[in-house]
Amino acid sequence: MTSKRRRFVAMVAVVASLALVATGCASKTDTSDTGGAKTTEVVIGIGAPLTDGAVALGQGMVRGANLAVQQANETQELKDLGIKLSTVEGDDKGDPTTGGNVATQFVSNPNLVGVMGHLNSGVTRVAVKIYNQANVLQVSPANTAVDLTNMGMANYFRVCTVDSVQGPAAADYAYKVAGKKVAFVVDDATVYGTGLADEWAKQFAADGGKVAGREKTTDKDTDFKALVTLIKSSGAEIVYYGGIYNSAALLSKQMKEGGVKVPLMGGDGIFDPEYVKLAGAANAIGDYATSVGLPLAELPKGQEFQAAFKAAYPNEAIAAYDAYSYDAANVIIKAIIVAAKEVGADKVTTTEGRKAIIAAAAKTDFEGVTGKVSFDAKGDTTNKAITVYMVGPDGTWAPAPK
Amino acid sequence: MSLSYLLEQTLNGVTLGGLYALLALGYTLVYGILLMINFAHSELFMLGGYVGLGVLKLLSDPATVKATGLGFLEPIQAFFMSGTVGFVALLVATFGISAIVVGILGMVIERFAYRPLRHAPRLAPLISAIGVSIFLQNAVLLWIDSKQLPYTRADGSAFVTAQTAFTIGTVHVSTMQVFIVVTSLVLLALLDTFVSKTRIGRAMRATSQDGEAAGLMGVNINSVIALAFFIGPALGAVAGVFNGMYYGSVKFNMGFVPGIKSFTAAVIGGIGNLRGAMLGGFLLGIIESLASGFVSNAYRDVIAFVVLILVLIFRPGGLLGEAVAEKV
Repeated sequence: MTSKRRRFVAMVAVVASLALVATGCASKTDTSDTGGAKTTEVVIGIGAPLTDGAVALGQGMVRGANLAVQQANETQELKDLGIKLSTVEGDDKGDPTTGGNVATQFVSNPNLVGVMGHLNSGVTRVAVKIYNQANVLQVSPANTAVDLTNMGMANYFRVCTVDSVQGPAAADYAYKVAGKKVAFVVDDATVYGTGLADEWAKQFAADGGKVAGREKTTDKDTDFKALVTLIKSSGAEIVYYGGIYNSAALLSKQMKEGGVKVPLMGGDGIFDPEYVKLAGAANAIGDYATSVGLPLAELPKGQEFQAAFKAAYPNEAIAAYDAYSYDAANVIIKAIIVAAKEVGADKVTTTEGRKAIIAAAAKTDFEGVTGKVSFDAKGDTTNKAITVYMVGPDGTWAPAPK
Repeated sequence: MSLSYLLEQTLNGVTLGGLYALLALGYTLVYGILLMINFAHSELFMLGGYVGLGVLKLLSDPATVKATGLGFLEPIQAFFMSGTVGFVALLVATFGISAIVVGILGMVIERFAYRPLRHAPRLAPLISAIGVSIFLQNAVLLWIDSKQLPYTRADGSAFVTAQTAFTIGTVHVSTMQVFIVVTSLVLLALLDTFVSKTRIGRAMRATSQDGEAAGLMGVNINSVIALAFFIGPALGAVAGVFNGMYYGSVKFNMGFVPGIKSFTAAVIGGIGNLRGAMLGGFLLGIIESLASGFVSNAYRDVIAFVVLILVLIFRPGGLLGEAVAEKV
């Protein structure tokens, strides 16, 4: 008995220490030389999932933000001001606890005045409070949970639109344009996935559609066989998945293999080339995703971005948030410039400078690569366009027929 | 909910159970002999999936040959990609190579991470196992990819296409499902016979009953333990390849949840007991699947673990007993 009990204690210890290790955080720090004597080093943090969670989207955020910073450093305006920008990456693994660690690490850097991130709404919910206390500006390219801008955090802004716009727009498309009358709604039990799926289901029912089933999985699940059987018996004509591409792709694959040949629809979290790769093109064709803003090719600045991106990253494809991260980073950069002119370049990293940066961000107004970038009083973007995409016969995402 | 729906969910469960059972055998085999929980086992399962994917790509994905410049593989691929004989050979090669590579790795881990600690307090090898587990996860993350990789060729086509093996009423049973269940049953039968009928099997049983005494009787304990650390991980690797083919992807941390579940299955059946691990695996798989299909997918794990607790309350030694007198 005692040896059994001891064994049990040992097991508990093991599980506890595993959990601790799993949440530990690793991050890379870019060190760049400080340049001339008068140059002020200003750092922008990039908070994104880089080793776990939606890694493909996180890597895209790093690409977009780095591109914006590189371009800014080459402008005469920054050189005249004597400011040298650099970025530092924090790997939040898409996990709120790890995100909190990343945020604490960021604010301990005296030169860090702004954070471009995070991807996951659940992560931001933890991190934004830490940034708020340190007067660090946070601009997210991707948070869509409605309540984030109702938390009274003056330092928080986002350049993408929210679930309450994205979900209903997608539901309207499914019911009115695609003509689907019966839906099965699944989410991954994250802040993002649940919020989006709830909004979608609400609107689909309001339109007159029937929600035949509502189920939850987790964002780490790979086994959807039982769920697929359930979906099959529900007679759904479309499956809506609130979550990110890794699990959505496997759900789509297992659906099609299990004889449920109806399209899967998701939000911006599945709008990534990786989705098609994981699901297999044959399974993904006809699946839908919505994404905020208009297609890059339809925007004048968007084409410029595509060209600059191609030059900077010849071997990479643009993922869902590269362009948003580029715009989000530019919000921070422009705010730093305004603040530097106001309080002096050498003072932008002081509390006074940080407050000036946040105040400047609230007045943001420029033509970004994803459209007009400006914020309302709560920090939400005023750009509320949503585009529905579909995986075409060639296995790539393209704007869906209207 | 119709009868065919129940049947279909049970089939899902039996298949999942087959995977759990294969994995649970590895936990139970090592525990039976060393009274140690090999927490790195779930990572060996994960590595099995990666090795299998590598072999499949080298032997039947022309794009991989082009990308790696291993032109000499082209005629070999032509053989593996043609006809039924080639296909069966491909499967044999994939499972065989994956099992052998991972099995050897299991022995290496035992030699360097566990054997030096064999006479240390019980906690030491346990912590060492966690260390190995974290090491392997991070090695894959850093040296292979942090992204989830699809279990397909570069052009997205599956190595093993989902086909219907036979139909019961309206329920389609796929070849993959039959393959998983039959393989796990055959492997258990082989292992069971091996342990109970052969000379080496007898040495294993003797070692598990009393290692020191067995050693005095001339049993080479080190090689018996090494063998257990070959067989367990090799079975885990087979499960890893199945997992990739059946669910469609591999990721560096994919072993954690199935690992915990299979460990649970081993405990439900009675840890140290081979048939118990098998029973526990199938039972857990079926319970999970039915819970998911008839209650809610979100409650799947809750219900599965409530069952575990109930089993342990009423049968603390597991369903078939802990097999203490005759471990293994």
